[in-house]
Amino acid sequence: MIVCVAVVGHQNNPLYIQSFTEADDALKLHHIVHCSLDVVDERVNNPRKSGPTLNDTFLGLLYPTENYKVYGYLTNTKVKFILVTTDLDVRDADVRNFFRRFHSAYVDAVSNPFHVPGKKITSRTFAERVSTIVKSFGLSSAG
Amino acid sequence: MAMADQANTPLGRMLLDEITPAVAKERLKQVITFAGENDVSDLYSDPPPIESVLTTSQSECLPSWFRYFNKELVRTVSFSEHEAFDHPVASLVVVSSKDEEPINKFVDLFNTNQLPSLLNDGAMDPKILKHFLLVHDNLDGTPEKALKVLADMRSTFGLNACRLLCLNSFQDGLADHQENLWAPYKSDASPGQRLGCFLSMEDLDELTDIMQDLSSKQIIPHMEQKIRVLNQQVSATRKGFRNQIKNLWWRKGKDDTPENNNGPMYTFSSIESQIRVLGDYAFMLRDYELALSNYRLLSTDYKLDKAWKRYAGVQLLLLWRNQCSVGNRAFINTGKDLMGLCFFDDLEYWEMMGLTYFMLDQSRKDAEYSMENAFTTYLRMGSSGQRNATRCGLWWVEMLKSRDQYKEAASVYCRISGEDPLHSAVMLEQASYCYLLAKPPMLRKYGFHLILSGDLYKKCDQTKHAIRTYRGALSVFKRTTWNRIRDHLHFHIGKWYAFLGMSDVAIKYMLEVLDCSYQSKATQELFLRDFIHIVQKTGKTFEVFRLQLPIVNISSLKIVFEDHRTFASPAAECILTDLLKIQVNVRESLWRSLEEDMIPSLSTTRNNWLDSQPKLMEKKYKESNVCVAGEAIKVDIGFKNPLQVSVTISNVSLICQHSATADEMEPDANSSSSENQNDEVLRKLVSSRELNSDTSSFTLSEVDISLGGGETIVVHARVLDRQLVGKHHLEPAGAVYRVQLRRIVLHVFVFTLPLRVRLGDALEEEEPDLRPADRSPASRSEATLLPCLPQSADPQSRGRESHADADATPAAAAQLTVTPRVEGVLNIVGVMWKLSGSLVGFHSLEPNVTRKKVAKGNRKLKHSKSSNLKFLVIKSLPKLDGVLHHLPKTVYVGDIRRLSLELNNPSEIAVERLKMKISHPRFLNVGNPEDINIVFPACLEKKDSSARSNVKVGTKKILDTVFLFPEDATIHGGTPFVWPLWLRAAAPGHISLYITLYYEMGDLSAVMRYRTLRMHYILEVLPSLDVSFHISTCPSKMEEFRLRMDVANRTKSDSFKVLQLSSVRKEWGISLLQPIETNFPLESLSAGQALSCFFKLKNDRTLAPAEEKVPVLSNVQGTDVRLGSDTSEPVLDTWSSPLIDFHHYERVHQPTDQKKIVPSCCLIFMVVLNSFMHDQRYQDTVDFVLISRRQGDDSSPNSHNIFSHHACHCEITSSSPISWLVDGPRMVHHNFSGSFCEINLRMAIHNSSDSVVSIHINTLDSTPATLSPSGNEAGWHDISLLNDNIKVTSDVLGGGVQKSVSSGSLSPFIWSGSSSTRVKLDAMSTTEVPLLLCVFSPGTYDLSNYVLHWSLLSVNEHGDSGAGSRQSSGTCQGHPFYITVLQQD
Amino acid sequence: MGKEVSESCVESLLTEIVSSYGTRFYANKPDLAARRIEAIGYQVGHQLSERYTMERPRFSDHLEAIKFICKDFWSELFKKQIDNLKTNHRGTFVLQDNRFRWLSHMSIDPSPENSGSTQDPSAVAENKAAEAASMHLYFPCGIIRGALSNLGIPCAVSADISNLPACEFLSFSALN
Repeated sequence: MIVCVAVVGHQNNPLYIQSFTEADDALKLHHIVHCSLDVVDERVNNPRKSGPTLNDTFLGLLYPTENYKVYGYLTNTKVKFILVTTDLDVRDADVRNFFRRFHSAYVDAVSNPFHVPGKKITSRTFAERVSTIVKSFGLSSAG
Repeated sequence: MAMADQANTPLGRMLLDEITPAVAKERLKQVITFAGENDVSDLYSDPPPIESVLTTSQSECLPSWFRYFNKELVRTVSFSEHEAFDHPVASLVVVSSKDEEPINKFVDLFNTNQLPSLLNDGAMDPKILKHFLLVHDNLDGTPEKALKVLADMRSTFGLNACRLLCLNSFQDGLADHQENLWAPYKSDASPGQRLGCFLSMEDLDELTDIMQDLSSKQIIPHMEQKIRVLNQQVSATRKGFRNQIKNLWWRKGKDDTPENNNGPMYTFSSIESQIRVLGDYAFMLRDYELALSNYRLLSTDYKLDKAWKRYAGVQLLLLWRNQCSVGNRAFINTGKDLMGLCFFDDLEYWEMMGLTYFMLDQSRKDAEYSMENAFTTYLRMGSSGQRNATRCGLWWVEMLKSRDQYKEAASVYCRISGEDPLHSAVMLEQASYCYLLAKPPMLRKYGFHLILSGDLYKKCDQTKHAIRTYRGALSVFKRTTWNRIRDHLHFHIGKWYAFLGMSDVAIKYMLEVLDCSYQSKATQELFLRDFIHIVQKTGKTFEVFRLQLPIVNISSLKIVFEDHRTFASPAAECILTDLLKIQVNVRESLWRSLEEDMIPSLSTTRNNWLDSQPKLMEKKYKESNVCVAGEAIKVDIGFKNPLQVSVTISNVSLICQHSATADEMEPDANSSSSENQNDEVLRKLVSSRELNSDTSSFTLSEVDISLGGGETIVVHARVLDRQLVGKHHLEPAGAVYRVQLRRIVLHVFVFTLPLRVRLGDALEEEEPDLRPADRSPASRSEATLLPCLPQSADPQSRGRESHADADATPAAAAQLTVTPRVEGVLNIVGVMWKLSGSLVGFHSLEPNVTRKKVAKGNRKLKHSKSSNLKFLVIKSLPKLDGVLHHLPKTVYVGDIRRLSLELNNPSEIAVERLKMKISHPRFLNVGNPEDINIVFPACLEKKDSSARSNVKVGTKKILDTVFLFPEDATIHGGTPFVWPLWLRAAAPGHISLYITLYYEMGDLSAVMRYRTLRMHYILEVLPSLDVSFHISTCPSKMEEFRLRMDVANRTKSDSFKVLQLSSVRKEWGISLLQPIETNFPLESLSAGQALSCFFKLKNDRTLAPAEEKVPVLSNVQGTDVRLGSDTSEPVLDTWSSPLIDFHHYERVHQPTDQKKIVPSCCLIFMVVLNSFMHDQRYQDTVDFVLISRRQGDDSSPNSHNIFSHHACHCEITSSSPISWLVDGPRMVHHNFSGSFCEINLRMAIHNSSDSVVSIHINTLDSTPATLSPSGNEAGWHDISLLNDNIKVTSDVLGGGVQKSVSSGSLSPFIWSGSSSTRVKLDAMSTTEVPLLLCVFSPGTYDLSNYVLHWSLLSVNEHGDSGAGSRQSSGTCQGHPFYITVLQQD
Repeated sequence: MGKEVSESCVESLLTEIVSSYGTRFYANKPDLAARRIEAIGYQVGHQLSERYTMERPRFSDHLEAIKFICKDFWSELFKKQIDNLKTNHRGTFVLQDNRFRWLSHMSIDPSPENSGSTQDPSAVAENKAAEAASMHLYFPCGIIRGALSNLGIPCAVSADISNLPACEFLSFSALN
């Protein structure tokens, strides 16, 4: 299952971090997301080690922590999406699909004229869309 | 002397005790704690910004104790039995020449039972080279004895195994050599013990050359020779094909031996260990090829034997072979051994040199591979190999670092961080530094690992290290928006500092997390609780400038003070100054507009009383407000609680400073120089500190400072304020402070919403006689709470308020008052409060805090910013205090009541020349003094005209806007001054009544000539009755009109009673159409009921009133018709005082051209003589005033239960100057078989205008256009009878003659004679015009198909005033007139 | 993406923005009005670039981003591509649109007040046209700037209309 989803702005400032666990591990997830930014930078800076294809927005598996898998996605506008999941066999296709839908949700959220660019995303509809996307994660592979 | 420090040398340790893991751990722990103690010094300093961390080179960013720690770590794993490096190659036995039995000494110094276990159990070769040294001190005497001893030593131990060392410790010369000569070797030697300080230069030389030839002549040859021996053995047993095969064979045989973890035990004599020793020696002697070959050989064997430990060791050696460097290593090492120094001491720089060499080397892959192998193997061995794994990892890390592969190094560090928390903490910290040094630096991982290690440090309570690491991590998160992590860091650092007892630093860190609105509620509670706990543990109260909790939003700061403007009730107060100078209050402008024609203009007043006060510097005065000594300046400050948990603050008070006169403002002790703000802030802290120390609890001691300006804290209980301020001079000071003390009790509650109610309760139990008007502090504070809400516009708090729970108040407003007592200059510097009783927060109210906001504001605010908080205190003045009695909170529309205005002047100085103005004269009217003692409803009853006349005089006086009290009215000495007012609720809704009173001081020496008292009351007016009037001309008679009145009772429950009807106009009389009973079947009109009745409205100009058959109570003004059956009700005189005044204002207020329904609910009509005839239209307009009486119980005693409503300018006809009437037979019998029928009609035309009109009657011979329906009023529709009649005619035609219709399409009747007649009509005259109609077929016809064009011939001379409302010509559609023509047989 | 708005609406909205800012809000200080309009355009471009760069690999260098602006972004906005893209390789790009849609429907009132003006009315009309159009060009400038800066290219964009309805946008990217 997906533990945490995060949007990080182009100045590496957290725009949206949502954890989907009951436990109060917000701090830990913040740390994980924050550290994953280093890997993102690394991937971007020397792209020979980067994801499947050059300059793909999907950065692939950033790094496996002790019991999480962290995936990254970097948009053209240097906005990072971080996905932290616990299940160990994740098909890249699922993750790509997830990120695609998440990206569109994000775009709709920031296209809201009342959204201040660079500020946290507080739109409730965005949160709902994200939760639905998260719920439907991996179901495509299952069914 | 080598023996002397034996215990410290590794060899000695080996000799004395085994290094068990526990011991090693303990030693490391000591190292770490020692390091922690050392760098506690910089714990106070701030963590460096991350940029500087990045720029610093590796040497200083790495804590210096790491290399020492690593060395210790490595040292703990020396003397393992499976590698020969730290096996003693030779042993130096030293005996002083003073010893009496040197030979025996030598012997028993080296007998086996003293040897360590490794030697005894045969893991090492016990037959090590021994060298015997006899030390002779020349001071003990001549060396002959020593030489002789040496001689027989030689005889016993052999010739070249013995030597004599002659030293002379010269007593006088502590010849300290510039550098410790052991320094390169014995790096951990503490500089305190000055090694060899007794040695002279030549002694040192002797020492060194002894060592030199010992190593060169003895050890190296020994080792080489041993190598040769071993090499022969090995090659004999293992080289060559046969040996390999045999070896395998032989091992096969050995396989069944049970294997423990570290394989079979190899004694020194076993071939493997010999190979190993061979390899090691060769390695030491830099014969790397040989060493490598041996290691390779050995590794295969060990692998076969699964002797993992040895295998790993061998792998290490394979690596070493790659790393080994040239240079006299061997000498150094052996020398080290002899000097009793550990082989591993200089591992670091040995490896460094090795690695520099390694750079040139091609086979780094092998190195990686073997390192990996060794490491994994050690790890696989589990706990026993742990330390070796660590050591191996350290070397690996060094290797990687030297190749700038810092990331890999960090990962290795992470791998060697084992279960032991302390150990892994150190490793993680080093890993984090590796991340920092990586290119590009991976700051986030650096911070993350620092935090991890910090947690581990804390776990094995190395608090200082934990703080150090956390602070390092903090520098990463310093200026990022990762608030949660940063808060976590701040919070824990703070807690740990508190744990260390450095509470001020702890609080400095804890303060960072206070404003954490984005955290969860539990977290906020935790933060707050621990913070408070820490603060309270320190016992003293901390003072924090610009404390984050609660947030003072300056923008909501409002300052209310009374200069010449005084306020009766808090509702009347309006913000006279706020920092941003946004005049949000329209009220002030409203007040000004009210007062402008009463008071002399502000500038003039300033001037004249400035002249009277010459010693005040004018500039100072101009930029500062004026307040009166003894009157409170009220400051509304909005506090915002960002948290979801409720915080309690107490002792909110203003920080003020007071200087006796304006000119010594600056040099004053705790004054604030407003030019440089930093200095000002510091000063303020100082001043407010001692201020705080005295006023922390509001005792009398507060007064000492407050002889400048006394701070008093006031909650929203405005009543208390006013009494406090009012009594201020009269009561002894003690009483005042008692009031304040009671105030503090409340003050704790200001912040928490549920407690608001308790605030209210507390107020009530303090002041049992609170009037209901003042009894809702909760609602009051809600009101002040609203403006604070928009301040929380940042996204977090917006998100928070979406799920804000009830028990937390986002904001509240405290009202503080400062009451200066002596003249001078008072400056409100800031506000201070106490958070949960132990933390004092300050906030400067200086505008520079909100400078940027102001800068956003417009320019001209700039200059007056600093002045808003500076007050010029002038000596006390009389102050009027007014109450409006009997004012109801809610009242029905039209209710007429008598109020009484009571004015009080507590001071002895009289005030005089009172003027008053009321914002809504429609609602509130000034009565006459005699109105107080008359009984109200009765006074309205009819009196004789004399009484009425002087009432008119009074009326005239009221009609001009400002009411002047009589000259002799002076108020002083607390004697109340009462004046009646009349209230009439004119329109429904919430009405706020503003009353302003102008009065002048009795004594002319007063600084202020005049003051104004402002009173403000809010009145809720409920709708009572809706009444609509509709006036329609009655077609049957001229000069007579139908008046329809529809009454609907809009009230919820009350029922209204119908009284009487009166008409008070000469020209227009009103009479009932039907008798009263049919009109008003029931006495009263209950809620929701509607009623309508018709009246006849008759113009009396032509007809004498005597002919009127209306029931007349005859008077000049008009006639009264009593509705309602009971005659007990008196007939009210609508010309008496309050009614007529109210009616006047109604006339002014209501628009003159109203065709709409006028809401009113009175059954007494009066038609007011409209005094200006010419500005009316050609026909009159009628005004209605409506008074009614509510049925049932009179709840409030002071309601007189008379309702009056006014409907003005109801037009009597449509706007045409003429009215006409067609007269003629209604039914004609005629025989159409003969000729058509002619009918004569007369049209009487009346010109009601005051000018000559020419009228042009135009008859059309077509079916009339449908009459324009008169507008629907109050749900009344006209059913157009017209269509029905036409249908009737068509029926008749159908039944009757067909052909005549079919003969022509012309209408069944025509106007004969001239189709248009023209007449000229004088003003106010009537004429008749004959008309002739020809009808062709029977039927009922509507003769309305004519139009009257009229045009004014001469505009009258004073028509200019009403020119807007009059038109010079027009067209009137004919009235319907039905005539029926029947066939006459 | 599916939502579309009719072009005429957009154009009239633009003219309304220009007129209200230029004549009503900041009537006397046109530079301020220009900055406000440009800021509006900036936000629009910022958000549009976010949307239109979905589903495409990241740009390796600035030239790719500019090309994206010229091709896809422009055709999303104006149903046509930039006609001509020039650059000195020191960070200045010239985007030329020969028929800029938002100017193509603009017309200048033909009544040239040549009272006292020495040059011929056509020139006056030209000037009026130029300054009227330039007010309308702050919005697209802002759009380009917003899009580029959101793609990580801080730049300054200015428009040049020497011959209507052709229009040149110069973007000075601030990198070198």
